[in-house]
Amino acid sequence: MNQLAAGLSFAGTAFLLVFMTILWLHIQRPPMRTLGETRLWYAIFMSGIGLGSYLRWKYKWLVSYSLGLAMVFLIINLQHPETYDKTLMPALQSPWFIPHVIVYIFAYAMLGASSLVALRNIFFAPSDKTIKGPIQMADNLVYLGFSFLTLGLLFGALWAKEAWGHYWTWDPKETWAFLTWMFYLVYIHYRFRHPSEHKRAMTILAVSFAILLVCWFGVNYLPSAQNSVHIYSE
Amino acid sequence: MSNETSRKIEKHHWSYREGTIVTGLILLLGFGMQAASGGIVLRIAGFPWNLIAGLIFLFLLVFAFYRWKNHPVIKWLGGVKAALPAILGFTFLVLLMGFVKQDVEPKSALVRTLGLTHLVKTWPFMLINLYLMILLGITTLKRITPFNYKNAGFFLNHFGLFLVLLSTALGSSDIQRVTMNCYENKTEHNALNPSGKPVEMPVTIKLLNFNIDEFPPKVTIIDNKTGQIVLTKNKNPFELLDRNTLDIYGYHLEVEQFLESSGKVGDSYVALNEPGSAPSAKVNVTKDGSEISGWVYSGSYVNQPETLKLNENHSLVMLPAEPRKFSSELNIQTQSGENVTTTIEVNRPFHIDGWSIYQLSYNTEMGRWSNLSVLELVRDPWLPIVYFGIFLMMAGAVFLFITGNPKDGGTKHVA
Repeated sequence: MNQLAAGLSFAGTAFLLVFMTILWLHIQRPPMRTLGETRLWYAIFMSGIGLGSYLRWKYKWLVSYSLGLAMVFLIINLQHPETYDKTLMPALQSPWFIPHVIVYIFAYAMLGASSLVALRNIFFAPSDKTIKGPIQMADNLVYLGFSFLTLGLLFGALWAKEAWGHYWTWDPKETWAFLTWMFYLVYIHYRFRHPSEHKRAMTILAVSFAILLVCWFGVNYLPSAQNSVHIYSE
Repeated sequence: MSNETSRKIEKHHWSYREGTIVTGLILLLGFGMQAASGGIVLRIAGFPWNLIAGLIFLFLLVFAFYRWKNHPVIKWLGGVKAALPAILGFTFLVLLMGFVKQDVEPKSALVRTLGLTHLVKTWPFMLINLYLMILLGITTLKRITPFNYKNAGFFLNHFGLFLVLLSTALGSSDIQRVTMNCYENKTEHNALNPSGKPVEMPVTIKLLNFNIDEFPPKVTIIDNKTGQIVLTKNKNPFELLDRNTLDIYGYHLEVEQFLESSGKVGDSYVALNEPGSAPSAKVNVTKDGSEISGWVYSGSYVNQPETLKLNENHSLVMLPAEPRKFSSELNIQTQSGENVTTTIEVNRPFHIDGWSIYQLSYNTEMGRWSNLSVLELVRDPWLPIVYFGIFLMMAGAVFLFITGNPKDGGTKHVA
């Protein structure tokens, strides 16, 4: 039964990858320009991370949670099918484009998985003692996710210097990306100093993911963020 | 300070409470100073004063650390209990920036007084930045005395961030950004600073050629009565003319002839390559058995566009082509007598004599016939230090990836 489930999850992830490849070839540009395209990448990474952590740590529940989250993103895409415009503005035509987006979405997926751990612990774990194992997994996911987040942020800075002449302009997306980075920084420092206060750490983790979501989607709707160079095209 | 007070400070238990109080006081003081100064925009002094200030800061930091290494306050400054409230204080300011639109005219007196629309250039931002740098500096020094290779990742992350914060703060006033309007075959040695004043540059630039490479144009359907594009939910309103047949809004299009650059002669279009020429296509459109054939033309700053009326309700329209790439071929002469010919484009600047030359814009109305290329010239002498800090942080990120949380015994899944 376990093998069947793992096999099906693997097949689903592989199918998404094949779809992404065909899409990339069809639109003749990296499929990373629109929100929907980033959601598709997210769904792929999320399923991959769920499967990978199952293979490594045997946490069955994380597979179902992460596949569930991946499915939510796919359903959003099915509900709002996008039109795949083939044009790509000159500013996005850079060798930095692909690493910047991929590293970022991978970090988002890692941190998304860690927040699933956090939510499960906040709602289903009665006391601090019972969540020792999962919190280590949350840490692993956050450390990996945070290192990718840092790389994505710094790649973005180096790219911005080449494209716009300055590495940091406090563009609204940059401001929120920096905020996201700061919140996970708080989590890491808190965990470092208070290794046994699990519940509060998990709360910080959940709040951090909320900030991440604002950075990813919410910025598009913030009045403070109109005219940002980072607004995804719809 | 009397002996008694210093003994009190030494005996005092320094914790989160003190961290919160200090951070809170810094923010209060900052906003107070900002309000008292009448909402001015702060600038750090330029070279050489910023360099001198930076060196004095570094000296004081190192001196204070080694002089009072075992003092509880210094120990506290180098720990999480001071760091966390400081990070949260800084986060609070950045959150304000996330919600209040920056670099616009303040809408209310309060916003103006507190400097909320240009927070980066206010007292609270600068003070909390300074405080964070002190904390990062002490933390780094604490961790590297004595040095242990186990702390390499810690050092890279903290010192890298310290360098980035210090060099961006100090270097901000030495950054020069100007724009230069270059016309084809004319030599230019003046540029405009951000406030629009002309400044003479140490380089002269001659625009040899400005070139735009365009995507094929898009076509769309408009409503004859309103002139608006017909939108259907979840359907692409535009189609790129990069193939011979396509379907849009129930119409089937066959492209009989496509001209990348053309002009009207009589009733039809012919290939032309003179200023104002634009793409055109002869299309055959069918829907529900009815068929119509004719030209669509995207038009330009010289020529009117041409639409094809399909029926009572709809017309087919060709939109102006979007740029795929725009580039300028430049001849650059420096004061030192260097003479280079190069091509720049978006994402591909050219670096010479401490200046970076960027392709910024062009006359968008004229599109690919633009004889104007707008360049941006940027000089940022502190950049190497910023980059050095960024590279340390990148290396630190790789360390984080490999080692994980040391309190968990590290990440166990990475070899």
